[in-house]
Amino acid sequence: MAVESDVLDELHRIRNRVPQLTGSLAATVDGLVLAHDAPGTEPEGLAALTAAALGVAHRTAEATARGGFRELLLRGADGYVATYAAGPAAVLTLLADGRVNVGRLHLEGRRSGARIGELVADRIGQGRGRAPAAEHVTSPAAGARPIDTLPVRTPQRPAHRPSPQAGAHRRPT
Amino acid sequence: MANLETSLKECLSSIDGASAAALVDYTSGMALGTLGGGKEFNLEVAAAGNTDVVRAKLRTMELLGLKEEIEDILITLNSQYHMIRLLKGRGGNGLFLYLVLDASRANLAMARHQLRRIESELEV
Repeated sequence: MAVESDVLDELHRIRNRVPQLTGSLAATVDGLVLAHDAPGTEPEGLAALTAAALGVAHRTAEATARGGFRELLLRGADGYVATYAAGPAAVLTLLADGRVNVGRLHLEGRRSGARIGELVADRIGQGRGRAPAAEHVTSPAAGARPIDTLPVRTPQRPAHRPSPQAGAHRRPT
Repeated sequence: MANLETSLKECLSSIDGASAAALVDYTSGMALGTLGGGKEFNLEVAAAGNTDVVRAKLRTMELLGLKEEIEDILITLNSQYHMIRLLKGRGGNGLFLYLVLDASRANLAMARHQLRRIESELEV
């Protein structure tokens, strides 16, 4: 269970570094919550929505040959939602108000994403004894969808796997 | 009138001791253009960090009730000068030019003068 607390520590750290952050969430690419620090939002719902957005992002990147997923930025009238890749198996989603320094948000988000990716990769490495980094190279060879074959983690709260997202990141094979 | 690339190049070529320059949007903290820097001096980090500097000063002035505008900000380090010059008018609102100077080679008065000229000619 060490990964959850390490990831949560990382979320607290980024919260301290970016004052305009209103919430943060680390989730697996298939929409399960790893850790969250987002008062006032429902983490399961946000993780599920993130997974859905990732599915579209993956396919868009693939269709336009932009390479593997790195980040998503959404700007609403009152703030930002940014999602950063955290290794091949997880993502980091940050919620920020409209006055946030986006440059800094990117710097901290990318750094934290990489850190969380390492934490998750360590755990997967122990469990499976294979190199998850190879999956970062999204290529036609990834016909076997790495996303779905990753070990599913036990979420912090009673799991309900959001059904609309089940096929969201499926690519035509 | 000069465009962004020309202005950044002019910063490095016509100002003695200049080693890096950037045009930064301080509403977002992201750089519109950068020149120089490199591995040992990440201008993206500098853009984000100095955005906080500019915002802090603007907010302080607001709290003090000063109805003034910032022309420029000078930061003196041991071996470097960092200059921030806010753009005025012509759609340049919310932008600043950021310049890194080697303190041993730069002429501060001249650098400030040149930067003012470059800023006045810059068309974004």
